[in-house]
Amino acid sequence: MTDASDLDSYFGERQGETPLGTVVGGSLSAGLRVKLDPHLSIERLAVGRYVVIQGQSRRTFFGIITDILLDAANPDLPRRPPDPSDSFSAEVYRGSVAYGAMQVTPMLVLDEGAQEPRPIKTIPAHFSRVHEATAADVERVFGREDQSHFFIGSPLDMELVQVNLDLGRFVARSSGVFGKSGTGKSFITRTILAGIVKSGLASSLVFDMHNDYGWAVKGEGQHQYKGLRQLFPDGRVNVVTLDEETSRARGSKIDRILKIGYEQIEPEDVEMLAGLMGLSDIQTGALYYLRRRLGPAWIAKLLEEEQAGEELQELVLSGRILPGTLDAIQRKFESFFRRMGFLVPGKGDEAVDDIFNRLNLGTSIVLEFGRYGNTLAAYVLVANYLTRRIHARYVDRMNRHAGGQADEPRPLMIVIEEAHKFLDPQIAGHTIFGNIARELRKYNVTLLIVDQRPSGIDDEVMSQIGTRVTCLLDNEADIRAVFSGVSGAGALREVLARLDTRQQALIMGHAVPMPVVVRTRDYDQSFYSAIGVVDGEERKARAKRGAETLFGD
Amino acid sequence: MVVTQVPIGRVTRCSTRGFVGAVRLPEPDIPAFGGFCVVETQHGQARVIGLIYDLSIEDDELARQMASAGDLSREQLADAQTNRQVPLEFSALTVGFAREGTYHYTLPPQPPLTLAEVYPLDVNEVHSFTERFDFLPLIFGADRLPVDDLLAAALKQASLTYPEKQRLPYLVQAGRECARFMAADLNRLENLIRSLQT
Repeated sequence: MTDASDLDSYFGERQGETPLGTVVGGSLSAGLRVKLDPHLSIERLAVGRYVVIQGQSRRTFFGIITDILLDAANPDLPRRPPDPSDSFSAEVYRGSVAYGAMQVTPMLVLDEGAQEPRPIKTIPAHFSRVHEATAADVERVFGREDQSHFFIGSPLDMELVQVNLDLGRFVARSSGVFGKSGTGKSFITRTILAGIVKSGLASSLVFDMHNDYGWAVKGEGQHQYKGLRQLFPDGRVNVVTLDEETSRARGSKIDRILKIGYEQIEPEDVEMLAGLMGLSDIQTGALYYLRRRLGPAWIAKLLEEEQAGEELQELVLSGRILPGTLDAIQRKFESFFRRMGFLVPGKGDEAVDDIFNRLNLGTSIVLEFGRYGNTLAAYVLVANYLTRRIHARYVDRMNRHAGGQADEPRPLMIVIEEAHKFLDPQIAGHTIFGNIARELRKYNVTLLIVDQRPSGIDDEVMSQIGTRVTCLLDNEADIRAVFSGVSGAGALREVLARLDTRQQALIMGHAVPMPVVVRTRDYDQSFYSAIGVVDGEERKARAKRGAETLFGD
Repeated sequence: MVVTQVPIGRVTRCSTRGFVGAVRLPEPDIPAFGGFCVVETQHGQARVIGLIYDLSIEDDELARQMASAGDLSREQLADAQTNRQVPLEFSALTVGFAREGTYHYTLPPQPPLTLAEVYPLDVNEVHSFTERFDFLPLIFGADRLPVDDLLAAALKQASLTYPEKQRLPYLVQAGRECARFMAADLNRLENLIRSLQT
């Protein structure tokens, strides 16, 4: 009989590790069935943990535990278990006739002598031994932190191991951060955005609905956390506000105030608000006609800011628009436009060009909505308004770049919250956000969508999401949506449904070599230091050293 | 082989699968059901290890006559049971063999020869031989033997070679090994487990 030690001398022993079990079945599509070692307590295992499988051909397979189950060699055993008082019988059965098993989804394979693991195309042979992955194994998969690899968190039970997000790949395609309300989506998003800003790989335009990203963010227990503007006080992040009053009250440093002139608004900008404003299809169609007939000042005229009584009367008399339709549009415009302080009569300023230029210079912009963040229509209007125009400039710049007439525009990631309002299946086909998600990085513009209802997002858009960072979701439809378009990810459903409510996320897709459950890094002083923030005594000491360098002792 | 023990008998007939021996011993030294024994083969190059699965005492005309005679005196009984040359026959199942200090849990290449001396396996050897449970398949593979009782007796004997605290864990492990063979028949497995506990 061949001893395990003989095999170890040939294949190489995994020092100091107890095997978890043995591969006894499975397939590439359905995952591997692993019978647990009888000496191992099944209660030690947890879904989401990594395992390493030594293949027979000296390949090392990396996989993730996706399910844990109790099984029996005899189907009658569950019907006639041993007497509860007979611990001897229970001990004998346990680990023999009754045994533990786990489902492992193989993800990567490392060929003998290779440094980089690659996606799996085969599975380990029968009876391959399965070990818990060590810190070294996980590090080998996720690489080391560098300019383009950003430390996002640690695998469960491996606090000292870093999972690094490949930011180059993250910004190359649209990405998503999903999770129930209160699961830490904003914290994770802010952490990732800080990494992107630090890396300089792309500019970000953040439509900050709830003032979560720019300045002094309040967490639980009224603890304040630094916003991106505070993490990068050197100008790499600008705060633009729609609501100067609220921003000032919060002590936020503002780099620009955004006002949109009535004359800058096109019917396409209002069309996305149809549902929110209660505009019927006829009324929405009439907007285009009104814009054509009334000219750039169409909104002012409808709001009767300008003398347009006769013009409107003529339109009605011509029969091209019904008086009721016109009245309804005027009434709805009246109640919306008058409430939005950032919408001002006239032509407005060159805010879009200014923002485009800042983004193109590598500055990330956080657009604070202040009190307007509570009005979804305001959020949708502004996000749509800016995105359409900035995207158009990117398209123009890319086309000119292709013709050798301009530099390539800097990659841009647009961050939108409540994304299902923009990417609803009814409208995603013809909104700018749907286009951006579908065209990948053709024009150097991608989306980072932050949402708690991914099931509300168009399937086609979801299938284009490159990297998905998913906090706890418990709605079946949302879980299904998160996994749409991800091959073989169905097995991860159990993992997702069992995440903690705080600081845990399943990351999968383009920016990580294999799906990973992480405890996200703490957003605290150590994070600030890692980003390069200098605070308190250190800042004073630096200032003193600078002064001494300049002026001597 | 350094022999320090008293032989329990001599081989009277044998095959590679087992052997039968005859013995005439006082009652306390009669080999027991489920006991391990050993006998040399191949001119001492190997030792066949057997597990005693049957003990029988053949009758004869005198024994039959005495049994039907009615009341027997104490002297008559003692004479018949102790002094008469009535052979006690034991049957052993081969469960492995030892060669050059290594145990092999398969049938030996050759059986022992007739009249070879059969010894009980000493406690240390029982311990060493039964540390691994690779001898179980030969027991499970035996036809027409009281396999379950034999297993229970052998394993309990093996457990006695361990310090008291380790006996139960040994029996649990032994039970698990047996369960691999008996998983399809839960009734048999339950009986075996019960026997291991008593």
